[in-house]
Amino acid sequence: MNIIIRIAREEWRLWLRSKVIVAAALIIVTLLAVTSVLTINRVADEQSQRLAQQVEAEKTFFAQPDRHPHRMVHYGHYAFRPPPPLAIFEPGVDAVTGQSIFLEGHRQNSAMFADTKAAADLGGFAALTPASLYQLLLPLLLIVLGHALFLRERESGTLAVILAQGQSGVTLAMGKAVALLAVVTIFMIPLILVATYSVSLGESGLDAFSMVGGYFAYLCVWGAIVLAASIILNQRAVSLGVLIFVWLFAALIVPRFAINASSAAIDAPGKIESDLVMLAEQRKLGDGHNAADPAFQRLQAEVLEQYDVETIEELPINWRGVVASYSETELTKLLNSYAENRMNLEASQSRMFDLFGLASPTIAIGSLSRTFAGTDLATHHRFLRESEKLRFDFVQSLNEVHANELSYADDMNRNADAEASRRAQVNSEAWQVLDEFRFAPDSASARISRATLSLSVLFAWLLASISVVFIAARKVRL
Amino acid sequence: MVDNLIREVRFLAKDSGALFWLVLAFVLSITAVSFGVTEVSDQRATIATLIDEDAADRANALEGQEDWGGAAYYAFHLTHAPPSDFAFAAMGQRDSSPWKHRVRMLALEGQIHEADTRNADFGLVGRFDFAFLAASVAPLLLILLLYDLRATERSARRHDLLVATAGSPIQLWLPRALVRVTALAALLLIPLWGASWVAGTSSDIVLKATVILVGALLIWWLIVELVSRINASPSVLLTSLIGLWLALAIVVPALSKAAIEARQPLPNGGEILLLQRETVNDAWDLPKETTMTPFLKEHPEWSDHATFETAFEWKWYYAFQQVGDQKAAPLVEQYRSARLARDREAGLIAFLSPTSFVERSFEKLAGTDAASMIAYEDAVRDFHKQLRVFHYPFLFRDEPFDRDLLKDLPAYIPTP
Repeated sequence: MNIIIRIAREEWRLWLRSKVIVAAALIIVTLLAVTSVLTINRVADEQSQRLAQQVEAEKTFFAQPDRHPHRMVHYGHYAFRPPPPLAIFEPGVDAVTGQSIFLEGHRQNSAMFADTKAAADLGGFAALTPASLYQLLLPLLLIVLGHALFLRERESGTLAVILAQGQSGVTLAMGKAVALLAVVTIFMIPLILVATYSVSLGESGLDAFSMVGGYFAYLCVWGAIVLAASIILNQRAVSLGVLIFVWLFAALIVPRFAINASSAAIDAPGKIESDLVMLAEQRKLGDGHNAADPAFQRLQAEVLEQYDVETIEELPINWRGVVASYSETELTKLLNSYAENRMNLEASQSRMFDLFGLASPTIAIGSLSRTFAGTDLATHHRFLRESEKLRFDFVQSLNEVHANELSYADDMNRNADAEASRRAQVNSEAWQVLDEFRFAPDSASARISRATLSLSVLFAWLLASISVVFIAARKVRL
Repeated sequence: MVDNLIREVRFLAKDSGALFWLVLAFVLSITAVSFGVTEVSDQRATIATLIDEDAADRANALEGQEDWGGAAYYAFHLTHAPPSDFAFAAMGQRDSSPWKHRVRMLALEGQIHEADTRNADFGLVGRFDFAFLAASVAPLLLILLLYDLRATERSARRHDLLVATAGSPIQLWLPRALVRVTALAALLLIPLWGASWVAGTSSDIVLKATVILVGALLIWWLIVELVSRINASPSVLLTSLIGLWLALAIVVPALSKAAIEARQPLPNGGEILLLQRETVNDAWDLPKETTMTPFLKEHPEWSDHATFETAFEWKWYYAFQQVGDQKAAPLVEQYRSARLARDREAGLIAFLSPTSFVERSFEKLAGTDAASMIAYEDAVRDFHKQLRVFHYPFLFRDEPFDRDLLKDLPAYIPTP
């Protein structure tokens, strides 16, 4: 044990003497600090802004004057998705998707005004977040620190001395590993601080610290890869070159390749495309604004029979409201089946993307960190589903008001004159049917179970890379 | 000089490390352009299907209509920006901005901001297209090919001997590096040229793309050359070069992006929508003059026809739709000009980062830059204006409905 610590301490002494390494570490620490502060501020702003917008939207809805209830269906409402606490570390897909959605009758809108659409375009990776620094830059730092860990002993001839003293290659490798592990641990401190802060913002501790654990495992994978290269290869420059190549491959090439491959393999039609197919079907359902549409004949017969009357004028409820409610239900079924289909295709694309994690630990940690942060595609889909439910509920409640609180005669007569259109209004108290909407992150256990695939891929990487180090270290000869 | 070059080519042929990077460059370039070509043909196929389905849907929608207002309400019109013949090399903003919309006569602001986005993970990670390869990966490959030219000779203790016997250092190092840079450039460019030939890209664009790529490689070569004059071990040189790459390819663009976006704040997009919706919805409860006054200011030609007999008339309905757009117009203009200003500043800052510069230049050549996407939006706005110009006479003159006249509905023609 003692000897391992001594080897590690020696390594640290050398690192601290190297200007390149100290400079690189300082630059990364500065970058981490700057991006963390910037991201924390930005996310805090967005969080409070969105919450305020949500409250405001509800207030405006409630404050609408007396009106025809169907007008409120078209007036609509907004749903906002405030960033979850861990978005201060991993903003994830939030910038790409847009975070607000307009809800109205007869339509499912998409989330609009994504940040990326209006972003200053400076090429490929212009957005730096604390998470991307951990995913991309820290592995590079480990490479710079560690590519010659073992080689240095070989090159300076000290390896012979150490082995002759009866120390095994494994002991030496352990010492080097401890040195790298200390680096990794030190660099976990900023993440631990951010995680703790997110807990103070209401994040679950289990989840935040699973995220810390995930990144620790990820950096250990890189540490092991670096150590293995320095044991197996026999020239400093070659070792560095190979490691840079591995980094280039894992961090830059494979993720983008995986995106192209999964979008080519699974074709998820865009919204306009699937909407067109749907519109044709929708036309068969009839237009809910036109109660005389033949598509409603059957419904009419049923309702007349139910109330045991001959004509719709005799119904105790407003036939137009009944039609509106019926057609909204049918339409929503259709809309939802298309939306579900689209989301399922997207989810399977993303699953395929996650499987590429077997070729790049960077993919695995990226998915893991978005899932733990609650800024992944699945959370966006849940936002779409929940806002759809909110939409359907308020539209149907208004349709109920339409059917029960407004007489058919007044409704049909609404365009006759000013007085008639006043009679076709209902009291604005009816607008209280709108539910309060506060989008919240998934529970920690839900997120952790969703991260199972990426977690297992990451652990497979950890096991594989540590095994390679052991096997290589056991074979160390002069 | 020729002898020197031939000698260096022979050396290179035996340097398995260098050959590996070169082959990798070639394979990556082939991969990037093939993905690009596939994606472009997918997008073309999507557009072709959409054009057919859109026409069928419109015909179907117009069939049962009995008045001009209903016809205008139910007829959607497809607008689209087809990928250019160089888009395979740089998908650029096509992944984050919509390139197809279906619009109708209602207030445009409620329709044009719809995002027909694809999988959000895609937008987040980005594509592996040629622009990315040329801008970000190629410099790394160049660094890996060149960083140890001197240093390996130094560590093999041949450096001083070589320099002494070569006459001038230029004769020694220049051919060696030149052969590698040329090989890298050629291997990256050959697949690009091939794909351009298949895609029918104009030679002018191909030439520009070639110049940009070669220019960027020359700049990186200069950087490597300057750094590797430092008398340090190969690994220290490589570390410093990777550090420079990080600074120029990631840190400078990211910091400038944050700075630009802070300098040019966007109006909240949601406000545009909100204002437009509120205006349109309020109009129902307001006296008709409140709508017609601002409308007639824009369209004085309909003043004589702005009289109403019933509580609901289509001309009033479409007038308040337009007033909704008019109310939102200042915010829309602010949003648009902030986007353009951001793009302009990003264009200036890009001179500081060869990576950003190459990527932006490729997007410009491919018509996938922010300006092109905004131009598409402008084209959609123009088209929507044409729709209004077509419908207003029928609506306001109260002409009898004649379905045959709908054959002259304006059709969207994408600008090349």
